[in-house]
Amino acid sequence: MGKIIKLGIILAVFCIISAGSLAFVYLFTQPQIELNAQLTLEKSKREVLPASGKGRAISVSPKGYSGPIDMLVGIDPQGKVSGVKILNHRETPGLGANIVRPKFLDQFKGKTLKDPIEPKKDIDALTGATISSKGVCDGVKEALRKK
Amino acid sequence: MSLWKDFNAGIVKENPVLRLMIGLCPVLAVSNNAINAFGMSVAVAFVLTCSNFVVAAIRKIVPDEIRIPIFIIVISTFVTVSDYIMYAYYPEVHHALGVFVPLIVVNCIILGRAEAFAYRNPILNSTLDGIGMSLGFALALVSIGVIRELLGAGSVFGFTLINPAVAATIMILPPGAFITIGFLMAALNKFENKVQ
Repeated sequence: MGKIIKLGIILAVFCIISAGSLAFVYLFTQPQIELNAQLTLEKSKREVLPASGKGRAISVSPKGYSGPIDMLVGIDPQGKVSGVKILNHRETPGLGANIVRPKFLDQFKGKTLKDPIEPKKDIDALTGATISSKGVCDGVKEALRKK
Repeated sequence: MSLWKDFNAGIVKENPVLRLMIGLCPVLAVSNNAINAFGMSVAVAFVLTCSNFVVAAIRKIVPDEIRIPIFIIVISTFVTVSDYIMYAYYPEVHHALGVFVPLIVVNCIILGRAEAFAYRNPILNSTLDGIGMSLGFALALVSIGVIRELLGAGSVFGFTLINPAVAATIMILPPGAFITIGFLMAALNKFENKVQ
């Protein structure tokens, strides 16, 4: 019994030292981490909105091939898509992961609710990644409807 | 002499990936391009060297029965520190490595070296063992990363070298990792046989 308590106390001491040093590092890095998150969001917003900065950036998370695709869709005051940016995704590397390429994403510029926004209709799907391409199309449509 | 041996062992003779075959899970996951492989190597090197140092330093006051939980506490502390630092100062690398940074905690290279080496050896030897093993890990991981990125995406460290259209996508998918590791192990064995 006494041994268990002794071992428990030793373990607790190690945990306290560990927690203390982590709190120290956390205090140092936290402001920078928060700043980064904010900068990334602002930068992404600037990227998807037209040069004038007017319009709205809408974030949507449509279903992709292997999990949600978090994306930001910029829509200008006339209701046209001004830019699309993928923030986070889990698509297959080399295939679905190519949805982040500008060549694919630029196709959405200027689309409105009146366009079909479907692979094989007005959007060229990525080779071997029809489901991922469809996911991005769904996201853009959802953002246009939300507007 | 023994110090040099401890340092040297991890690089080729006991290379953690290609010889001891431990820690393969993160190797498969982050070796699909050279930059991720390099970022992961740096994070593992930091954690492995620091944890070997600390485990060796505290080895005489740690009771045998609870050494494993204590190793895990030491390792996870350093992993979280490196996770915070990367998130704060290298957000792009952090983003690319994703969940694999926190998972360094359960990387068997680090716990393995703590248990097999640092718990039984002095501080200096253990630190050198950590650096040597890290170098071996980095060497293996970056070689795999370069090969997979070149064959699978046509580039190395992000610079396009061959037309991506002729690249074999399978190489940046999981099977490519197994194939590459197999060939590298075979090459290393061949090389060692020749030397002997």
